Amino acid sequence: MSGVDVALTAAPATGLQDPGNDVGQTGPMAASHSVHGAARLVYRLRDGRTALADLYQRDPQRVLFPRVPQAEPETAVLVTTSGGLVGGDNLQVSVTAGADTQVLVTTQAAEKIYRSSGADCRIETDLCVANGAWLEWLPQETILFDGARLRRQTRVDLRTGGRLLAGEMTVFGRTASGERFSHGLLNDRWTVRVGGQRRWMDAVHLADALSEALNAAAGFDGAVACATLIYVAPDSAQRLELARALLPESAPIVSAATLVNGVLLLRWLARDALQLRRAYSDFRRTFRHRVAGLPDALPRLWSI
Amino acid sequence: MSWKPRWRVRSVAGSSLVELPMTEEAQGLYRLMTWFSPAFPVGAYTYSHGIEFAVETGRVRDRDSLCDWVGFIVQQGAGRIDADLFLRTYRAVRDGDVDALVDTVEVGSCLRGSAETALESSAQGAAFLRAVASSWPHPGLTAWQTALAADDVEPAYAVAVAAAAHHDIAAGPALTALLQAFAANLISAGVRLIPLGQTDGQRATAALAPLVQASVAAALLRPAADLGSASAMVDWTSMRHETQYTRLFRS
Repeated sequence: MSGVDVALTAAPATGLQDPGNDVGQTGPMAASHSVHGAARLVYRLRDGRTALADLYQRDPQRVLFPRVPQAEPETAVLVTTSGGLVGGDNLQVSVTAGADTQVLVTTQAAEKIYRSSGADCRIETDLCVANGAWLEWLPQETILFDGARLRRQTRVDLRTGGRLLAGEMTVFGRTASGERFSHGLLNDRWTVRVGGQRRWMDAVHLADALSEALNAAAGFDGAVACATLIYVAPDSAQRLELARALLPESAPIVSAATLVNGVLLLRWLARDALQLRRAYSDFRRTFRHRVAGLPDALPRLWSI
Repeated sequence: MSWKPRWRVRSVAGSSLVELPMTEEAQGLYRLMTWFSPAFPVGAYTYSHGIEFAVETGRVRDRDSLCDWVGFIVQQGAGRIDADLFLRTYRAVRDGDVDALVDTVEVGSCLRGSAETALESSAQGAAFLRAVASSWPHPGLTAWQTALAADDVEPAYAVAVAAAAHHDIAAGPALTALLQAFAANLISAGVRLIPLGQTDGQRATAALAPLVQASVAAALLRPAADLGSASAMVDWTSMRHETQYTRLFRS
Protein backbone atom coordinates (compact mmCIF):
# COMPACT_ATOMS: atom_id res chain seq x y z
CA MET A 1 0.00 0.00 0.00
CA SER A 2 2.15 2.87 1.14
CA GLY A 3 5.88 3.16 0.99
CA VAL A 4 8.80 1.86 2.90
CA ASP A 5 9.13 1.20 6.59
CA VAL A 6 12.39 2.37 7.98
CA ALA A 7 13.35 1.04 11.37
CA LEU A 8 16.56 2.09 13.00
CA THR A 9 15.94 0.44 16.33
CA ALA A 10 15.12 -2.99 17.62
CA ALA A 11 11.43 -2.65 18.31
CA PRO A 12 10.18 0.26 16.29
CA ALA A 13 6.54 -0.65 16.07
CA THR A 14 5.77 -0.92 19.75
CA GLY A 15 3.58 1.87 20.97
CA LEU A 16 2.72 2.95 17.47
CA GLN A 17 -0.54 1.69 16.11
CA ASP A 18 -0.46 0.29 12.65
CA PRO A 19 -1.69 3.32 10.76
CA GLY A 20 -3.42 0.96 8.35
CA ASN A 21 -6.06 0.33 10.99
CA ASP A 22 -7.44 3.79 10.42
CA VAL A 23 -8.43 3.26 6.83
CA GLY A 24 -12.02 2.58 7.74
CA GLN A 25 -12.36 5.93 9.47
CA THR A 26 -11.31 8.03 6.53
CA GLY A 27 -14.65 7.76 4.80
CA PRO A 28 -16.04 6.03 1.79
CA MET A 29 -13.97 8.03 -0.66
CA ALA A 30 -10.66 6.94 0.85
CA ALA A 31 -8.77 5.63 -2.11
CA SER A 32 -6.56 2.58 -1.88
CA HIS A 33 -3.54 4.73 -2.71
CA SER A 34 -3.97 6.82 0.47
CA VAL A 35 -0.76 7.20 2.37
CA HIS A 36 -0.24 6.55 6.05
CA GLY A 37 2.94 8.22 7.11
CA ALA A 38 4.29 8.03 10.60
CA ALA A 39 7.19 9.25 12.65
CA ARG A 40 8.06 8.36 16.18
CA LEU A 41 10.87 10.00 18.07
CA VAL A 42 11.99 9.16 21.58
CA TYR A 43 14.70 11.11 23.32
CA ARG A 44 16.49 10.09 26.50
CA LEU A 45 19.29 11.52 28.51
CA ARG A 46 22.56 9.68 27.82
CA ASP A 47 25.76 10.71 29.62
CA GLY A 48 24.11 13.98 30.57
CA ARG A 49 23.16 14.80 26.97
CA THR A 50 19.91 14.53 25.06
CA ALA A 51 20.12 11.65 22.64
CA LEU A 52 17.77 9.94 20.24
CA ALA A 53 16.81 6.62 21.82
CA ASP A 54 14.22 5.40 19.35
CA LEU A 55 13.26 6.35 15.83
CA TYR A 56 10.60 4.98 13.54
CA GLN A 57 9.62 6.53 10.26
CA ARG A 58 7.32 5.49 7.53
CA ASP A 59 6.84 7.17 4.17
CA PRO A 60 5.84 9.77 3.33
CA GLN A 61 6.93 10.99 6.75
CA ARG A 62 10.72 11.25 7.13
CA VAL A 63 12.89 12.82 9.78
CA LEU A 64 16.08 14.82 9.32
CA PHE A 65 18.54 15.73 12.04
CA PRO A 66 20.30 18.95 11.11
CA ARG A 67 23.35 20.23 12.90
CA VAL A 68 22.35 23.08 15.15
CA PRO A 69 24.26 25.53 17.33
CA GLN A 70 25.32 24.06 20.64
CA ALA A 71 22.93 26.16 22.69
CA GLU A 72 19.94 24.81 20.76
CA PRO A 73 17.97 21.75 21.87
CA GLU A 74 18.38 18.50 19.94
CA THR A 75 16.50 19.23 16.73
CA ALA A 76 14.43 17.03 14.45
CA VAL A 77 12.91 18.18 11.18
CA LEU A 78 9.90 16.36 9.77
CA VAL A 79 9.58 16.08 6.03
CA THR A 80 6.48 14.98 4.17
CA THR A 81 8.09 13.55 1.06
CA SER A 82 4.84 13.41 -0.87
CA GLY A 83 4.74 17.20 -0.81
CA GLY A 84 1.34 17.32 0.86
CA LEU A 85 -1.72 15.34 1.81
CA VAL A 86 -4.82 14.44 -0.16
CA GLY A 87 -8.14 13.19 1.15
CA GLY A 88 -7.74 9.85 2.92
CA ASP A 89 -4.10 10.39 3.86
CA ASN A 90 -3.01 9.92 7.46
CA LEU A 91 0.00 11.22 9.30
CA GLN A 92 0.90 10.16 12.81
CA VAL A 93 3.66 11.85 14.70
CA SER A 94 4.78 10.99 18.19
CA VAL A 95 7.52 12.76 20.09
CA THR A 96 8.69 11.78 23.56
CA ALA A 97 11.06 14.03 25.43
CA GLY A 98 12.42 11.86 28.24
CA ALA A 99 13.37 13.18 31.67
CA ASP A 100 15.62 16.25 31.57
CA THR A 101 16.00 16.23 27.77
CA GLN A 102 15.75 19.31 25.53
CA VAL A 103 14.10 18.75 22.18
CA LEU A 104 12.87 20.87 19.30
CA VAL A 105 10.78 19.45 16.48
CA THR A 106 9.83 21.46 13.42
CA THR A 107 8.99 20.78 9.77
CA GLN A 108 10.99 21.38 6.65
CA ALA A 109 8.22 23.19 4.81
CA ALA A 110 4.60 24.20 5.05
CA GLU A 111 2.23 21.21 5.11
CA LYS A 112 -0.06 21.40 2.13
CA ILE A 113 -3.53 19.90 2.39
CA TYR A 114 -4.85 19.48 -1.14
CA ARG A 115 -8.41 19.60 -2.32
CA SER A 116 -10.24 16.40 -1.41
CA SER A 117 -12.80 14.57 -3.50
CA GLY A 118 -14.63 13.61 -0.31
CA ALA A 119 -12.43 11.84 2.24
CA ASP A 120 -10.86 13.60 5.21
CA CYS A 121 -7.16 13.54 5.87
CA ARG A 122 -5.98 13.07 9.41
CA ILE A 123 -2.98 14.32 11.26
CA GLU A 124 -2.44 13.01 14.75
CA THR A 125 0.34 14.26 16.92
CA ASP A 126 1.28 12.98 20.37
CA LEU A 127 3.69 14.98 22.46
CA CYS A 128 4.97 13.43 25.68
CA VAL A 129 7.07 15.52 28.00
CA ALA A 130 8.71 13.95 31.02
CA ASN A 131 9.73 15.58 34.26
CA GLY A 132 12.45 18.20 33.75
CA ALA A 133 12.20 18.03 29.95
CA TRP A 134 11.79 20.90 27.49
CA LEU A 135 9.94 20.25 24.23
CA GLU A 136 9.29 22.71 21.43
CA TRP A 137 6.76 21.53 18.85
CA LEU A 138 6.80 24.25 16.25
CA PRO A 139 5.94 23.04 12.77
CA GLN A 140 5.69 25.45 9.90
CA GLU A 141 2.24 26.47 8.73
CA THR A 142 -0.44 24.18 7.38
CA ILE A 143 -1.96 25.46 4.15
CA LEU A 144 -5.53 24.40 3.50
CA PHE A 145 -6.17 24.47 -0.23
CA ASP A 146 -9.71 25.26 -1.25
CA GLY A 147 -11.69 22.03 -0.83
CA ALA A 148 -9.25 20.53 1.68
CA ARG A 149 -10.66 18.30 4.42
CA LEU A 150 -8.52 17.99 7.51
CA ARG A 151 -9.12 16.47 10.91
CA ARG A 152 -6.18 17.18 13.16
CA GLN A 153 -5.59 16.10 16.75
CA THR A 154 -2.72 17.22 18.90
CA ARG A 155 -2.46 15.42 22.22
CA VAL A 156 -0.11 16.55 24.93
CA ASP A 157 0.84 14.36 27.86
CA LEU A 158 3.01 16.35 30.21
CA ARG A 159 4.41 15.08 33.47
CA THR A 160 4.42 17.62 36.27
CA GLY A 161 7.75 19.39 35.96
CA GLY A 162 7.94 19.08 32.16
CA ARG A 163 7.80 22.14 29.91
CA LEU A 164 6.19 22.44 26.51
CA LEU A 165 6.00 25.24 23.95
CA ALA A 166 3.76 24.08 21.12
CA GLY A 167 1.97 25.83 18.32
CA GLU A 168 0.35 25.62 14.92
CA MET A 169 -0.21 28.10 12.13
CA THR A 170 -3.04 27.51 9.69
CA VAL A 171 -3.49 29.35 6.40
CA PHE A 172 -6.91 29.40 4.73
CA GLY A 173 -6.13 28.90 1.04
CA ARG A 174 -3.16 29.63 -1.18
CA THR A 175 -3.55 33.23 -0.30
CA ALA A 176 -0.58 34.46 -2.34
CA SER A 177 -2.48 33.53 -5.47
CA GLY A 178 -5.73 34.91 -4.10
CA GLU A 179 -7.27 31.52 -3.34
CA ARG A 180 -9.51 31.24 -0.29
CA PHE A 181 -10.50 28.17 1.71
CA SER A 182 -14.18 28.50 0.81
CA HIS A 183 -15.33 24.90 1.06
CA GLY A 184 -14.03 21.82 2.81
CA LEU A 185 -13.46 20.99 6.45
CA LEU A 186 -11.20 21.81 9.30
CA ASN A 187 -11.70 20.11 12.66
CA ASP A 188 -8.68 20.96 14.76
CA ARG A 189 -8.41 19.59 18.30
CA TRP A 190 -6.01 19.94 21.17
CA THR A 191 -6.02 17.94 24.37
CA VAL A 192 -3.54 18.76 27.10
CA ARG A 193 -2.99 16.42 30.03
CA VAL A 194 -0.79 17.39 32.92
CA GLY A 195 0.17 14.64 35.37
CA GLY A 196 -2.43 12.41 33.69
CA GLN A 197 -5.29 14.88 34.22
CA ARG A 198 -7.01 16.59 31.31
CA ARG A 199 -6.47 20.30 31.77
CA TRP A 200 -7.34 22.02 28.53
CA MET A 201 -8.99 21.20 25.23
CA ASP A 202 -9.63 23.15 22.10
CA ALA A 203 -11.83 22.34 19.15
CA VAL A 204 -12.06 24.49 16.06
CA HIS A 205 -14.65 23.39 13.56
CA LEU A 206 -15.03 25.00 10.17
CA ALA A 207 -17.30 23.33 7.63
CA ASP A 208 -20.05 23.95 5.12
CA ALA A 209 -20.56 27.72 5.03
CA LEU A 210 -16.86 28.36 5.45
CA SER A 211 -16.75 31.79 3.87
CA GLU A 212 -19.47 32.97 6.19
CA ALA A 213 -17.55 31.88 9.30
CA LEU A 214 -14.21 33.14 7.99
CA ASN A 215 -15.70 36.54 7.17
CA ALA A 216 -18.11 37.00 10.10
CA ALA A 217 -17.10 39.73 12.55
CA ALA A 218 -17.44 37.25 15.43
CA GLY A 219 -15.81 34.48 13.38
CA PHE A 220 -12.42 35.02 11.74
CA ASP A 221 -13.32 38.56 10.59
CA GLY A 222 -11.70 38.12 7.19
CA ALA A 223 -8.47 36.63 8.50
CA VAL A 224 -6.64 34.36 6.08
CA ALA A 225 -4.35 32.87 8.68
CA CYS A 226 -4.43 32.04 12.36
CA ALA A 227 -2.07 30.66 14.94
CA THR A 228 -2.36 29.04 18.32
CA LEU A 229 0.52 28.63 20.76
CA ILE A 230 0.48 27.06 24.20
CA TYR A 231 3.04 27.09 26.95
CA VAL A 232 2.49 24.44 29.60
CA ALA A 233 4.99 24.42 32.43
CA PRO A 234 5.18 24.85 36.18
CA ASP A 235 5.71 28.59 35.59
CA SER A 236 3.08 29.14 32.87
CA ALA A 237 0.86 31.24 35.15
CA GLN A 238 3.76 33.57 35.96
CA ARG A 239 4.46 34.11 32.23
CA LEU A 240 1.09 35.61 31.33
CA GLU A 241 2.28 39.18 31.82
CA LEU A 242 5.41 38.55 29.75
CA ALA A 243 3.32 37.00 26.98
CA ARG A 244 0.96 39.98 26.91
CA ALA A 245 3.88 42.40 26.83
CA LEU A 246 5.46 40.62 23.84
CA LEU A 247 2.33 40.76 21.69
CA PRO A 248 1.83 43.60 19.24
CA GLU A 249 -0.66 46.12 20.58
CA SER A 250 -2.79 46.70 17.52
CA ALA A 251 -3.75 46.08 13.89
CA PRO A 252 -3.05 44.56 11.45
CA ILE A 253 -2.33 41.59 13.69
CA VAL A 254 -5.00 40.56 16.13
CA SER A 255 -3.46 38.70 19.06
CA ALA A 256 -4.08 37.98 22.72
CA ALA A 257 -3.01 35.81 25.61
CA THR A 258 -4.90 34.12 28.41
CA LEU A 259 -4.43 31.46 31.05
CA VAL A 260 -6.91 28.59 31.19
CA ASN A 261 -6.54 25.89 33.86
CA GLY A 262 -2.81 26.57 34.08
CA VAL A 263 -2.24 26.54 30.31
CA LEU A 264 -0.87 29.75 28.82
CA LEU A 265 -2.70 30.20 25.53
CA LEU A 266 -1.95 32.65 22.73
CA ARG A 267 -3.85 33.33 19.53
CA TRP A 268 -3.11 35.33 16.42
CA LEU A 269 -5.30 36.24 13.46
CA ALA A 270 -4.20 38.16 10.38
CA ARG A 271 -5.38 39.08 6.92
CA ASP A 272 -1.89 38.50 5.60
CA ALA A 273 -0.22 35.11 6.06
CA LEU A 274 3.30 36.52 6.01
CA GLN A 275 2.52 39.11 8.65
CA LEU A 276 1.08 36.40 10.83
CA ARG A 277 4.15 34.23 10.38
CA ARG A 278 6.37 37.15 11.32
CA ALA A 279 4.37 38.07 14.43
CA TYR A 280 4.19 34.45 15.56
CA SER A 281 7.90 33.88 14.90
CA ASP A 282 8.94 37.06 16.68
CA PHE A 283 6.95 36.06 19.70
CA ARG A 284 8.22 32.54 20.02
CA ARG A 285 11.90 33.36 19.58
CA THR A 286 11.79 36.02 22.27
CA PHE A 287 9.54 33.99 24.51
CA ARG A 288 11.75 30.85 24.44
CA HIS A 289 14.72 33.05 25.18
CA ARG A 290 13.03 34.67 28.15
CA VAL A 291 11.51 31.58 29.73
CA ALA A 292 14.14 28.94 28.90
CA GLY A 293 17.34 30.89 28.24
CA LEU A 294 17.51 29.42 24.74
CA PRO A 295 18.87 31.50 21.84
CA ASP A 296 16.63 34.33 20.66
CA ALA A 297 16.46 32.65 17.26
CA LEU A 298 14.42 30.48 14.96
CA PRO A 299 15.42 27.23 13.30
CA ARG A 300 17.35 28.06 10.10
CA LEU A 301 14.61 26.55 7.98
CA TRP A 302 12.25 29.22 9.25
CA SER A 303 14.29 32.17 8.08
CA ILE A 304 13.30 32.52 4.47
CA MET B 1 -40.78 19.99 17.82
CA SER B 2 -44.41 20.41 18.71
CA TRP B 3 -44.58 20.92 22.39
CA LYS B 4 -47.87 22.33 23.56
CA PRO B 5 -49.28 21.72 27.00
CA ARG B 6 -52.64 20.07 26.54
CA TRP B 7 -55.12 22.13 28.51
CA ARG B 8 -58.36 20.35 29.21
CA VAL B 9 -61.45 22.47 29.35
CA ARG B 10 -64.73 21.28 30.76
CA SER B 11 -68.02 22.89 31.54
CA VAL B 12 -69.45 22.86 35.05
CA ALA B 13 -72.89 24.25 35.86
CA GLY B 14 -72.86 26.61 32.91
CA SER B 15 -69.50 28.18 33.74
CA SER B 16 -66.23 27.26 32.11
CA LEU B 17 -63.50 25.89 34.29
CA VAL B 18 -59.96 25.37 33.16
CA GLU B 19 -58.34 22.36 34.67
CA LEU B 20 -54.56 22.28 34.72
CA PRO B 21 -53.64 18.63 35.03
CA MET B 22 -49.93 19.42 35.49
CA THR B 23 -48.84 16.86 32.98
CA GLU B 24 -45.18 16.04 32.79
CA GLU B 25 -44.91 18.54 29.98
CA ALA B 26 -46.44 21.31 32.01
CA GLN B 27 -44.16 20.53 34.92
CA GLY B 28 -41.19 20.58 32.60
CA LEU B 29 -42.24 23.91 31.16
CA TYR B 30 -42.61 25.31 34.65
CA ARG B 31 -39.11 24.20 35.59
CA LEU B 32 -37.53 25.54 32.44
CA MET B 33 -39.19 28.92 32.86
CA THR B 34 -38.02 29.09 36.45
CA TRP B 35 -34.45 27.98 35.79
CA PHE B 36 -33.96 30.39 32.91
CA SER B 37 -35.75 33.31 34.50
CA PRO B 38 -33.38 36.20 35.24
CA ALA B 39 -34.47 35.77 38.89
CA PHE B 40 -32.86 32.33 39.10
CA PRO B 41 -29.64 32.91 41.05
CA VAL B 42 -26.90 31.96 38.58
CA GLY B 43 -25.77 35.55 38.06
CA ALA B 44 -26.04 35.38 34.26
CA TYR B 45 -26.35 39.16 34.06
CA THR B 46 -22.74 39.60 35.24
CA TYR B 47 -21.28 37.92 32.12
CA SER B 48 -20.95 39.46 28.66
CA HIS B 49 -18.86 36.72 26.98
CA GLY B 50 -16.45 39.35 25.68
CA ILE B 51 -19.16 41.66 24.30
CA GLU B 52 -17.98 44.39 26.63
CA PHE B 53 -14.67 44.51 24.74
CA ALA B 54 -16.41 44.09 21.36
CA VAL B 55 -18.49 47.20 22.16
CA GLU B 56 -15.42 49.06 23.45
CA THR B 57 -13.64 48.47 20.14
CA GLY B 58 -16.68 49.25 17.98
CA ARG B 59 -17.14 45.72 16.67
CA VAL B 60 -20.57 45.64 18.25
CA ARG B 61 -22.22 49.06 17.97
CA ASP B 62 -25.93 48.78 17.08
CA ARG B 63 -28.80 46.35 16.95
CA ASP B 64 -27.73 44.69 13.70
CA SER B 65 -24.11 44.15 14.68
CA LEU B 66 -25.23 42.88 18.11
CA CYS B 67 -27.67 40.47 16.50
CA ASP B 68 -25.00 39.15 14.09
CA TRP B 69 -22.44 38.82 16.88
CA VAL B 70 -24.72 36.97 19.29
CA GLY B 71 -26.22 34.87 16.51
CA PHE B 72 -22.75 33.69 15.53
CA ILE B 73 -21.90 32.81 19.14
CA VAL B 74 -25.05 30.73 19.43
CA GLN B 75 -24.57 28.93 16.11
CA GLN B 76 -20.82 28.61 15.78
CA GLY B 77 -19.36 29.69 19.09
CA ALA B 78 -19.93 28.65 22.69
CA GLY B 79 -23.57 27.89 21.84
CA ARG B 80 -22.45 25.12 19.49
CA ILE B 81 -20.09 23.61 22.06
CA ASP B 82 -22.62 23.97 24.87
CA ALA B 83 -25.33 22.30 22.79
CA ASP B 84 -23.07 19.27 22.33
CA LEU B 85 -22.10 19.21 26.00
CA PHE B 86 -25.76 19.48 26.93
CA LEU B 87 -26.82 16.56 24.72
CA ARG B 88 -23.90 14.34 25.72
CA THR B 89 -24.74 14.91 29.38
CA TYR B 90 -28.45 14.47 28.85
CA ARG B 91 -27.96 11.14 27.07
CA ALA B 92 -25.36 9.90 29.56
CA VAL B 93 -27.65 10.58 32.53
CA ARG B 94 -30.68 9.15 30.76
CA ASP B 95 -28.76 5.97 29.87
CA GLY B 96 -27.08 5.68 33.26
CA ASP B 97 -23.69 5.83 31.51
CA VAL B 98 -21.42 6.98 34.32
CA ASP B 99 -18.22 6.88 32.24
CA ALA B 100 -19.74 9.09 29.56
CA LEU B 101 -20.97 11.52 32.22
CA VAL B 102 -17.58 11.74 33.90
CA ASP B 103 -15.93 12.24 30.51
CA THR B 104 -18.37 14.98 29.52
CA VAL B 105 -17.95 16.84 32.80
CA GLU B 106 -14.20 16.82 32.19
CA VAL B 107 -14.50 17.88 28.56
CA GLY B 108 -16.88 20.66 29.56
CA SER B 109 -14.40 22.03 32.07
CA CYS B 110 -11.44 21.82 29.65
CA LEU B 111 -13.02 23.13 26.47
CA ARG B 112 -12.70 26.86 27.16
CA GLY B 113 -11.05 29.53 25.08
CA SER B 114 -10.20 32.02 27.79
CA ALA B 115 -9.96 32.44 31.55
CA GLU B 116 -13.16 34.47 31.68
CA THR B 117 -15.34 32.24 29.52
CA ALA B 118 -14.14 29.34 31.69
CA LEU B 119 -15.28 31.27 34.78
CA GLU B 120 -18.56 32.22 33.10
CA SER B 121 -19.37 28.58 32.50
CA SER B 122 -18.11 26.99 35.72
CA ALA B 123 -19.44 29.65 38.11
CA GLN B 124 -22.90 29.52 36.54
CA GLY B 125 -22.80 25.72 36.51
CA ALA B 126 -21.98 25.59 40.21
CA ALA B 127 -24.57 28.25 41.10
CA PHE B 128 -27.20 26.50 39.03
CA LEU B 129 -26.63 23.18 40.78
CA ARG B 130 -26.77 24.80 44.20
CA ALA B 131 -30.03 26.56 43.41
CA VAL B 132 -31.65 23.47 41.89
CA ALA B 133 -30.54 21.28 44.78
CA SER B 134 -32.09 23.60 47.33
CA SER B 135 -35.34 24.36 45.52
CA TRP B 136 -35.96 21.37 43.21
CA PRO B 137 -34.23 18.52 45.02
CA HIS B 138 -33.86 15.21 43.24
CA PRO B 139 -31.99 12.23 44.73
CA GLY B 140 -29.92 11.46 41.62
CA LEU B 141 -28.88 15.05 41.20
CA THR B 142 -27.96 15.39 44.86
CA ALA B 143 -25.76 12.30 44.69
CA TRP B 144 -24.04 13.64 41.59
CA GLN B 145 -23.54 17.02 43.21
CA THR B 146 -21.93 15.37 46.24
CA ALA B 147 -19.57 13.41 44.00
CA LEU B 148 -18.58 16.57 42.11
CA ALA B 149 -17.98 18.48 45.32
CA ALA B 150 -15.77 15.66 46.63
CA ASP B 151 -13.58 16.06 43.53
CA ASP B 152 -13.75 19.85 43.73
CA VAL B 153 -15.29 20.01 40.26
CA GLU B 154 -17.52 22.82 39.03
CA PRO B 155 -19.32 21.51 35.97
CA ALA B 156 -19.92 23.61 32.87
CA TYR B 157 -23.28 25.38 32.93
CA ALA B 158 -24.64 23.36 29.99
CA VAL B 159 -23.63 20.12 31.72
CA ALA B 160 -25.32 21.12 34.98
CA VAL B 161 -28.53 22.12 33.23
CA ALA B 162 -28.67 18.87 31.25
CA ALA B 163 -28.17 16.77 34.37
CA ALA B 164 -31.03 18.58 36.12
CA ALA B 165 -33.32 18.53 33.10
CA HIS B 166 -33.01 14.90 32.07
CA HIS B 167 -35.56 13.28 34.36
CA ASP B 168 -38.71 14.99 33.23
CA ILE B 169 -37.91 17.42 30.46
CA ALA B 170 -37.40 16.45 26.83
CA ALA B 171 -33.97 17.26 25.38
CA GLY B 172 -35.18 19.50 22.54
CA PRO B 173 -37.22 21.95 24.60
CA ALA B 174 -34.60 22.06 27.36
CA LEU B 175 -31.81 22.81 24.89
CA THR B 176 -33.98 25.44 23.22
CA ALA B 177 -34.46 27.10 26.60
CA LEU B 178 -30.73 26.96 27.38
CA LEU B 179 -29.72 28.57 24.08
CA GLN B 180 -32.55 31.11 24.23
CA ALA B 181 -31.45 32.15 27.71
CA PHE B 182 -27.82 32.39 26.59
CA ALA B 183 -28.75 34.53 23.56
CA ALA B 184 -31.14 36.74 25.53
CA ASN B 185 -28.55 37.30 28.23
CA LEU B 186 -25.93 38.39 25.71
CA ILE B 187 -28.43 40.65 23.98
CA SER B 188 -29.22 42.16 27.36
CA ALA B 189 -25.50 42.76 27.96
CA GLY B 190 -25.31 44.51 24.58
CA VAL B 191 -28.39 46.59 25.35
CA ARG B 192 -26.72 47.89 28.51
CA LEU B 193 -23.30 48.41 26.91
CA ILE B 194 -24.04 49.98 23.52
CA PRO B 195 -26.61 51.20 24.83
CA LEU B 196 -29.83 50.26 23.06
CA GLY B 197 -33.49 50.69 24.00
CA GLN B 198 -35.34 47.76 25.55
CA THR B 199 -37.49 47.43 22.43
CA ASP B 200 -34.44 47.05 20.24
CA GLY B 201 -33.19 44.38 22.60
CA GLN B 202 -36.45 42.46 22.34
CA ARG B 203 -36.40 42.79 18.55
CA ALA B 204 -32.92 41.32 18.53
CA THR B 205 -33.99 38.42 20.74
CA ALA B 206 -37.00 37.81 18.50
CA ALA B 207 -34.82 37.90 15.39
CA LEU B 208 -32.62 35.16 16.83
CA ALA B 209 -35.53 32.73 17.34
CA PRO B 210 -35.14 30.85 14.03
CA LEU B 211 -31.42 30.66 14.57
CA VAL B 212 -31.77 29.13 18.03
CA GLN B 213 -34.24 26.64 16.61
CA ALA B 214 -31.85 25.75 13.79
CA SER B 215 -29.00 25.36 16.30
CA VAL B 216 -31.00 22.88 18.36
CA ALA B 217 -32.01 20.90 15.29
CA ALA B 218 -28.40 20.79 14.06
CA ALA B 219 -27.06 19.74 17.46
CA LEU B 220 -29.51 16.82 17.70
CA LEU B 221 -28.03 15.38 14.50
CA ARG B 222 -24.38 16.31 14.92
CA PRO B 223 -21.77 13.52 15.06
CA ALA B 224 -19.38 13.68 18.01
CA ALA B 225 -16.42 14.14 15.62
CA ASP B 226 -17.77 17.54 14.56
CA LEU B 227 -17.55 19.12 18.00
CA GLY B 228 -16.01 22.56 17.83
CA SER B 229 -16.47 26.27 17.34
CA ALA B 230 -15.37 28.93 14.85
CA SER B 231 -15.74 32.08 16.94
CA ALA B 232 -12.11 33.18 16.82
CA MET B 233 -12.87 36.87 17.32
CA VAL B 234 -15.16 36.18 20.26
CA ASP B 235 -12.33 34.27 21.92
CA TRP B 236 -10.07 37.23 21.18
CA THR B 237 -12.46 39.80 22.68
CA SER B 238 -12.81 37.64 25.76
CA MET B 239 -9.03 37.39 26.17
CA ARG B 240 -8.63 41.13 25.69
CA HIS B 241 -11.46 41.83 28.12
CA GLU B 242 -9.19 40.51 30.89
CA THR B 243 -7.12 43.69 30.66
CA GLN B 244 -9.88 46.13 29.67
CA TYR B 245 -9.53 49.25 31.80
CA THR B 246 -13.14 49.85 32.85
CA ARG B 247 -15.28 46.76 33.19
CA LEU B 248 -18.86 46.22 34.25
CA PHE B 249 -18.92 42.51 33.48
CA ARG B 250 -16.99 39.51 34.75
CA SER B 251 -16.48 38.23 31.19
